[in-house]
Amino acid sequence: MSDFVEECRREWRRLGVPDPVANEMAADLTVDLEEAEAEGGSPEDVLGNSAFDPRRFAAAWAAARGVTSAPTPYHPPPWRTPIAIALSVVVGVLTLGAGLALAVGRGSSSVAFATQRVAAVPGSIRLFAPGPGRIVSPPDLPPGIVGTHIAGVDVHPLALILFIVGVVGLALLAVWYWSPWSGPRRFRRDGGRRTPSWN
Amino acid sequence: MGNAEGRRSQLLRGVLDLCLLAVMGDGSAYGYEMTKRLRARGLSIVGEGSIYPLLGRLERDGLVETHRAASNGGPPRKYYSLSLEGERVLETGIGEWKAARDAVDGALGLVKAEVLP
Repeated sequence: MSDFVEECRREWRRLGVPDPVANEMAADLTVDLEEAEAEGGSPEDVLGNSAFDPRRFAAAWAAARGVTSAPTPYHPPPWRTPIAIALSVVVGVLTLGAGLALAVGRGSSSVAFATQRVAAVPGSIRLFAPGPGRIVSPPDLPPGIVGTHIAGVDVHPLALILFIVGVVGLALLAVWYWSPWSGPRRFRRDGGRRTPSWN
Repeated sequence: MGNAEGRRSQLLRGVLDLCLLAVMGDGSAYGYEMTKRLRARGLSIVGEGSIYPLLGRLERDGLVETHRAASNGGPPRKYYSLSLEGERVLETGIGEWKAARDAVDGALGLVKAEVLP
């Protein structure tokens, strides 16, 4: 048996090709190579440019026959990529926003809503304080208005929850994108309509 | 020249299965015998890789049938022949090839090549 066929056998063994199938393919290949040699030809006459890469040739042949059991490199189905990108952008922006709110809002951790303008005694300006509401009096209020009723919401817990959910969401997205169980099977032992004939 | 070979390879890749089915129309054949038949028809696969994976796919798709028989008193070999489905696919494929070839010929016919002395 030639070195080429021996190398093929090693590759088939590594790929989990059943012995009867590997024996059959090796025998067929051997007699073809011997015939070419007897006619004065070279392995290239039988194998084309595959004669220079036995492992690749062996893997391609076994895969074409559907008899490999070792996992092959996984590529996500094409439709999954745009969906994953769109979801990643949305979740990523939310996570980034939440992260920024957590980082920047350390000193003033609330969002203020101006609910109504009220008359009030000018005093100290207290912005962004959580709670039922505050009266603030900016210096350039129109005549008759001396203050604005401000209601605040503490964004720290909200941002924290959003940030955690975002990070977990991105991780789940990554798992979903690369996971073989959510797409087509990576390999099939008998993917064709016919069982490979190794009898 | 590398580009020319690459283009030839790409062109053949789409029809090599049809070529194999066609040479099987001359009668069942083993792997290397088919390579020789292709060569006799002017098609060398030396630069194209092996036909064995392609034969494996044709078998898996049910386009060929196989049996083992001794050849010229030698060891038993695997012979491939056209199945009914293979005959149908070959017929359809030939029509598709001719349509594609005519369309490409039509497009390339507008190109005037000038050969310098």
